Amino acid sequence: MDATRKANLDRAFNPELIAVVGDKKITDYMWLKSVRDAKAKVVSVQIDENEIPGILEMGFENYPSLEAVPGQVDYVIVAVPRPVAPRIVADAIKSGAGAAALFTSGFAETGEEQGVQLQEALTNMTREANFNLVGPNCMCLYHSKAGIRNSADQWIGEEGDIGFMSNSGTHATSFVMRARINGLYPLKSISMGNSIAVDQGDWLEYLGEDPEVKSIGMYVEGTRDGRKFFEALRDVAARKPVIIWKGGQTTEGARAAASHTGHLASDMALWDAMIRQTGAIRVDTQDELMDAFKALHFMKPFTGSRMGIVAQTGGQSVLVSDAFGREGLTVPDLTQESYDILEPIVTVVGGSYKNPLDVSGSLTSIERGREMLDTLAADPNTDIVVIEASIGFIARRLERQGKGMDDLIDMFKDFQETIDKPFAVIATWNQDEAALADFRGKIADRGIAVFPSFQDAARAIRRLRDYYVTQGELAAG
Amino acid sequence: MTVSASALFSETAARARAEGRLILTEEESKAILQEQGISVTMPTLATSADEAASAAESVGFPVVMKVSSREITHKSDVGGVRLGIANADAARAAFEEIVASAKAAEPNAAIDGVTVQSQAPSGGVEVIVGMTRDHQFGPVIMFGLGGIAVEVLQDVAFRIAPLTKRDAAGIIRDIKGYPLLTGYRATRAVDLNALEGVIEAVSSFVSETPDIAEMDLNPVLAYPDGSVAVDARIVLTAEDDG
Repeated sequence: MDATRKANLDRAFNPELIAVVGDKKITDYMWLKSVRDAKAKVVSVQIDENEIPGILEMGFENYPSLEAVPGQVDYVIVAVPRPVAPRIVADAIKSGAGAAALFTSGFAETGEEQGVQLQEALTNMTREANFNLVGPNCMCLYHSKAGIRNSADQWIGEEGDIGFMSNSGTHATSFVMRARINGLYPLKSISMGNSIAVDQGDWLEYLGEDPEVKSIGMYVEGTRDGRKFFEALRDVAARKPVIIWKGGQTTEGARAAASHTGHLASDMALWDAMIRQTGAIRVDTQDELMDAFKALHFMKPFTGSRMGIVAQTGGQSVLVSDAFGREGLTVPDLTQESYDILEPIVTVVGGSYKNPLDVSGSLTSIERGREMLDTLAADPNTDIVVIEASIGFIARRLERQGKGMDDLIDMFKDFQETIDKPFAVIATWNQDEAALADFRGKIADRGIAVFPSFQDAARAIRRLRDYYVTQGELAAG
Repeated sequence: MTVSASALFSETAARARAEGRLILTEEESKAILQEQGISVTMPTLATSADEAASAAESVGFPVVMKVSSREITHKSDVGGVRLGIANADAARAAFEEIVASAKAAEPNAAIDGVTVQSQAPSGGVEVIVGMTRDHQFGPVIMFGLGGIAVEVLQDVAFRIAPLTKRDAAGIIRDIKGYPLLTGYRATRAVDLNALEGVIEAVSSFVSETPDIAEMDLNPVLAYPDGSVAVDARIVLTAEDDG
């Protein structure tokens, strides 16, 4: 991507004037609403007499064409019917906008001749003009600081530091929502759609160069230019973490090959190779994507694999060790000094003061919990400390002491800030799903990694361990 | 059309294309790989039983003999391969048997003769080193356990070329069968440096030779001291892939 294209994208992401073309009542004016809180003036372009009154009622100025809009438009959202799209894109190019995002679908993704031809026309037009067309068939752009969104339901604010890019509009949109629930702050989310003018490699490079983007995630189904993407990934992943969620993993391209190698080179095998070569992080679901981001943003960097664990669900220590063992993490013996501290305080029958600590009834107070965590953190045999918090059980006990879950979370926060090892909470099950969701949300809001199960915690921790080890290897050359 | 730092490759590729072939013969493929510094069991062509016997004597027994025909790509399917030939008489007999059996199976194939190559010592671990040109990523390199393991278990790993030193080490360590290479029970660890060398040589050669579509070195026998490619096949890009 050249400097002009990049500067134009910057302008579209930080617009002063936004034009929404073709928004309508039947979709509840979704695009006007998505940008109505932007730090920009928003105008409508609509010629349908039936639609204009509703738009004016919402307080937007309306114009009959992009050309008629006074001032320099920076970002255009296009939601017109398919046959009109090329003309509106041509107008957007003429207007000198930084970018136009084309929500309109029905192009090459349909496989129909008309759709393919229209897409080809758009491709030629935008290429000739060196124009930033986002999409088509996309949910446009999100930038939390500028207040532009894929959907009016999304959070906006000043704290964002994650960049996301997605082949799917649903995932571009829901990433932002789920990231917030998980205590993370999205900055930019790009719905790439058919990405005919700005492709996957361009977007990756763009997010890579954005100094406010601290880490990058993506949902990708494929890329038009694998070599370009590989080179962009090699470059970007060396500077900031990149988490890749690849869709379409079981679709094997039909390969007529005269060699074993040609026959076995499936799409996923090559994406895996690329991820290993560049030191990116692979995930397979949206839940895993969230878990990886939490581990990345909230846990201190680590290359060790020795877990120190406080478990509460009782009698599960074998399963807990199994969960971490499956991911190549270990649950080692502690030092005698640690045992000397723990043995007198883990007194419950059937419990264990050995790692994983099986404390159930011995976790009698917040101070007691802190003592257990401090002991695990101080032990030279551990690299990572996690605690399982089974909330119904703890909540009742704390209540009797005149304390609440917030006090427990305060303790976690203070513990995390005091120790130099990475820390995470596992909030497994509870009879009250709403209380559990509330508890997880509160932990996440304090910038503490919280996982829904031992297995999920183990997977995320292993992935991040691999990431930090690989980055060390790559840096060493 | 043919662009390569290797004049031998360019000549061979041009000759194959002129003959309407995209698949280079084992002899052609191995000569090209040998020039790239890869150790191979180099075949010598014999056009008579006597030539086969003297070729066998000069490479040293035991030898492997294979039918040589540009039109037969799966030599063992036509009974065109004999292993463990221990003396000159056996070499003479093998020549006649191979030619007869290949002619019976493929009556219309032009047979150039029979190749003779030294038989690599037993005890090596069979691995495969390969390359294919992906429409998205360009040249990619594959490594795995060879022989039946590659066909049944598909225990292979890939890297996008060109490979760094770390990539060449990593592609070997990625396969599940990696412990078979590091020594188990009484067997000794194989020479991983030598394997990495083969992988790096293939990677840099294909990266500068766009005319190659696919390649298998299968198997490469890995020993505690070095490795050798005992079969190899290079496939050229079709003109329209260009």
